[in-house]
Amino acid sequence: MSTKKKGSKRDKNHHGSKIVDINEPDNDPFYASPLYDFLAPFRPAGSQWLTHYVIIIFALIIRLAIGLGPYSGMNTPPMFGDFEAQRHWMEITQHLPISEWYWFDLQYWGLDYPPLTAFHSYVLGKIGTFVYPAWFKLNESRGYEGDGIKTFMRLTVVLSDIIFYIPAVVYFTKWVGRHRNQSPVSQYIAAAAILFQPSLMLIDHGHFQYNSVMLGLTVYTINNLLDGFYSMAAVCFVWSICFKQMSLYYAPVFFAYLLSKSLFFPKWFNVSRFIGIAIATVLAFVSAFGPLYLFGGRIPNLQQCIHRIFPFARGIFEDKVANFWCVGNLFIKFKTLYTQEQLQLYSLVLTVAGFMPAFLMSLLYPKKHLLPYALTVCAMSFFLFSFQVHEKTILVPLLPVTLLYTSNDRNVLSFVCWINNVALFTLWPLLKKDHLSLQYSTCFIMCNWLLGNFSFFTPKFLPRFLTPGPPVSDTNKDYRRRSLLPNNILWKIIIICSYIAMFSIHIGDRFIEPPKQYPDLWVILNCVVGFGCFVLFWLWAYYKLFTLRNKTIQAL
Amino acid sequence: MSDVETENIEIIEELNVDELPDKIKEQPQDPVKKKDCKISTTDRRYSLWNFWICGLFLKILLFPDYFSTDFDVHRNWLAITHNLPINEWYFEHTSQWTLDYPPFFAYFEWVLSQFVPSIVKKDGCLDIVEVGQFGWPTVIFQRGTVIVSEILLYAVLQYYINTTSKDRRTQSFIVATSIVVSPGFLIIDHIHFQYNGFLFAIFIASIVTARNKNYLWCATFYSIALCFKHIFLYMAPCYFIFLLRAYVLNFEKFKFRSYKDLLFLVKWSHLFKLGSIVIGTFALCFSPFIFQMPQVLSRLFPFSRGLTHAYWAPNFWALYSFADKILSIVILRVPYIYTVVTRFISSPLIPSSVNEIRERVQEASNNGSKGLVQDVVFTVLPQIPPKVTFFLTVFYQILAVIPVLFDPSFKRFIGSLTLCGLASYLFGWHVHEKAILLVIVPFSFLVILDRRLLVPFMLVSAAGYVSLFPLLYENADFALKCLYTFVWCVVYFFALRKTTKLSSSVERRVFFMDRLAIIYICLLLPMVLGIQFFDVMKWKYPLFEKFEFLGLMTYSVYCSLGIMSSWIGISWLYNFDEPLWES
Repeated sequence: MSTKKKGSKRDKNHHGSKIVDINEPDNDPFYASPLYDFLAPFRPAGSQWLTHYVIIIFALIIRLAIGLGPYSGMNTPPMFGDFEAQRHWMEITQHLPISEWYWFDLQYWGLDYPPLTAFHSYVLGKIGTFVYPAWFKLNESRGYEGDGIKTFMRLTVVLSDIIFYIPAVVYFTKWVGRHRNQSPVSQYIAAAAILFQPSLMLIDHGHFQYNSVMLGLTVYTINNLLDGFYSMAAVCFVWSICFKQMSLYYAPVFFAYLLSKSLFFPKWFNVSRFIGIAIATVLAFVSAFGPLYLFGGRIPNLQQCIHRIFPFARGIFEDKVANFWCVGNLFIKFKTLYTQEQLQLYSLVLTVAGFMPAFLMSLLYPKKHLLPYALTVCAMSFFLFSFQVHEKTILVPLLPVTLLYTSNDRNVLSFVCWINNVALFTLWPLLKKDHLSLQYSTCFIMCNWLLGNFSFFTPKFLPRFLTPGPPVSDTNKDYRRRSLLPNNILWKIIIICSYIAMFSIHIGDRFIEPPKQYPDLWVILNCVVGFGCFVLFWLWAYYKLFTLRNKTIQAL
Repeated sequence: MSDVETENIEIIEELNVDELPDKIKEQPQDPVKKKDCKISTTDRRYSLWNFWICGLFLKILLFPDYFSTDFDVHRNWLAITHNLPINEWYFEHTSQWTLDYPPFFAYFEWVLSQFVPSIVKKDGCLDIVEVGQFGWPTVIFQRGTVIVSEILLYAVLQYYINTTSKDRRTQSFIVATSIVVSPGFLIIDHIHFQYNGFLFAIFIASIVTARNKNYLWCATFYSIALCFKHIFLYMAPCYFIFLLRAYVLNFEKFKFRSYKDLLFLVKWSHLFKLGSIVIGTFALCFSPFIFQMPQVLSRLFPFSRGLTHAYWAPNFWALYSFADKILSIVILRVPYIYTVVTRFISSPLIPSSVNEIRERVQEASNNGSKGLVQDVVFTVLPQIPPKVTFFLTVFYQILAVIPVLFDPSFKRFIGSLTLCGLASYLFGWHVHEKAILLVIVPFSFLVILDRRLLVPFMLVSAAGYVSLFPLLYENADFALKCLYTFVWCVVYFFALRKTTKLSSSVERRVFFMDRLAIIYICLLLPMVLGIQFFDVMKWKYPLFEKFEFLGLMTYSVYCSLGIMSSWIGISWLYNFDEPLWES
């Protein structure tokens, strides 16, 4: 696999020169990680075309392999789980007119996502009905299970990934790489690191959901912003919202960015751009909600749809989730102290206060390299403080964080890697319920290992080809292995402590029965650790957002 | 040029590079860097470690996947070797999956059974029953043993890399990785369930030691491999001739004066060592069963099976059966052809009348679904007794080993191994499609020697791996096996193309054939997709179920075309192309 390697492996300090060769391996943030080792043979110009396909195909293979495992609610009648919900939506969109989609038997997995999810289900359901009609027979197919439908549904997720998520991510890494003179290998590694993000893979392909569509559309939005196609960006973002309302978490930042770009920067009151964006937004909304109005029950149908999408009648939190309300509830019993309306108001205030600085920053500094940070803090504020948050929603703030794998700064990468691990850790109770613990642990270790997070240990007494930890094809003799940890000693301690806490909670969860009065002890501890890390990370991202405001894309 | 000057030039070049970042891609061959590259080659560690870990993750994720009856077969063997005294191993027949591997493999199962944890025992892993009743713990344990035993494959190949001379190490690294991540091992071992990785490790060890000229070790490993799985018997002629010629006979100072001189032709001490090693290994293997040899041999060589398997392995007999099917249809439609043909061929070679053909077709369709019958009866073409397949196999194997007799070089040896594997695969009795590994693995070691061998290699590996697809008939595996094989083919065909050199300056290739081979390989993809499409459509239209055999037949006929042409190509190069084999 390794072909001619053009490794310039001189130590810069040794030469005493300060020339930055972008092909200098040491300059590569992922240098000496296994990903680097796998992709380095593709460095010669003639082989580069291969790399993307290799990365994408292996990303698909891992997704398919995860998909061999169980899905949420497998063999658990009468309600099953998310898998059955998605299948059910394919069933009802097949057989019912649009006017009834949001009204049909709401007790049994009534449709509660915006119209694009419904259309997506409709298209996939059509394909499924073409293959085997019994999968989606109205009412009769309820709780239908079997290898055939499982494979079909899994493949639809993979297909959605191929269409919406993967090209967007690849384009993003290429764009950033091109504008920052990154070496091709770094671009590929960044793309691979993003595509191998374990949380999304496990939720979409293990637990079963279509988050990649929403997230992919969001990445398309970012790509369009990077390229300066503002109307197109607005369309993509509206579609993203119309696929899953969770993507509203990004809305303040995108709104501020677009507003700022059309009103203040680079010139005052760029009216044509403003009108273009406005029209595009309206058209995109119309394209999603129009059919509901035209072919369905006019206004009441729209109202019902909105009502289904935003269920304010439900509590401030349902399951255990690593946000402010759930963790704070341990100390202050919000639910008994305040009424539902009060809580709604408080959560609104806190959320707005949380994202307001990011909103203002985007308004004042609409810069491309700030976008991932602004999106991160904004979405994280929603996750931490807003109403009715699910543990799966962590994927939303996690997306812009993960896009930062394109960074060249090892400190940033360390934080990205860390918070990815924390996020995956907070998903553990959910994945455990789905019997995905094998997939969970494998992906957890695999993704960290690929990024070189286990590279800190190099025993000298073993033969070179047998050194545990990733060997690198052409390292210097004096090359010191590093794992992904920031330089700051305080952060180092925090991160290592959080890892130790995560590890001990896993051990406890596996081997120690929780006491009778706290049956959820391990889940609660999980949430507490997760919440603490998220808050710290949120603060760090705000810090980065402020310090980077006057820099350029080079400093991403 | 002093070191300082070199460094200066490097720095200047780096400056240029820095100023023109877009040009970097276009100048990968600049001289200083190239020199640098050479230095680093010696320093580079070619480690399979990453491949092992990465493969490990994928294989663990494949745990919940489909496994074949072979899983229960091996579980049953675990139970037999664990519960019964050694003299009953080959007599036990509670389950239909009786022990039919040589004793070393039985010992191996016995060793594995010692490590069965109690939770797996409770799961029913070690019960001798007709059909295994087991659950998740047994699956984890058995799949785990495959992964652990496969470490030997990595170790052997790492040894192979480490003992290669430094200028050839990149090539050997490509070969080693292509074997450890081969879709063949992934499909057969980690999904379908077998221990081929471990068994081929021993076989590869014999190849590597042969290259290193450690002939005694070569003989040892080969006989051990043979005592693990008797399928390696197909390779016996090569090993016999190669070891005889390279190690035992000495032609260097040989001069024939009288028959007494023939005594000096043989290096008697070498012969003695070699003989004692081989006999010793076999004694170690078979001595506990010395009084049951007929029973053991009847288990090892069950000749009661038919010529072809339920799914025809893509070999010569698949084409033969296909031709028979076509001829019977054509003759029944147009009986005139029959009368024309009978002018040239008389009765024993062809049925005596059209009615007889009709009767045979009737009989075949009465015997249940076509192709699933144990005994294959040809309707038009002559029947094939085992003798014919045996004769054909031996004939082509002899052709393959004759050059080794004259030139016992490693190149020739490995070429003859490949050809022996191909001959037995193409013409053998009751060949299993899994046996293609016996061709692809030695061929991998051969292909790096010359780029002209690449086209036959591409043909046989693409067609061979694709022909394994029907083993995993479940739809859940479909996308996975296709993507994995596809990416393997793309990466390794590309890497081999980049690193192999043409040994002769004369371009002797027939370019048309190369293009044809590429087209053939590309067409494998639509074939696989099309068959899968019809396979899925049969849920909706039960009509398609009647043609289920048609899909498998397409697989075996199309793949056999590729493997046959690969065999023709490599035979040509092996027998008539002298610059390739000069050392």
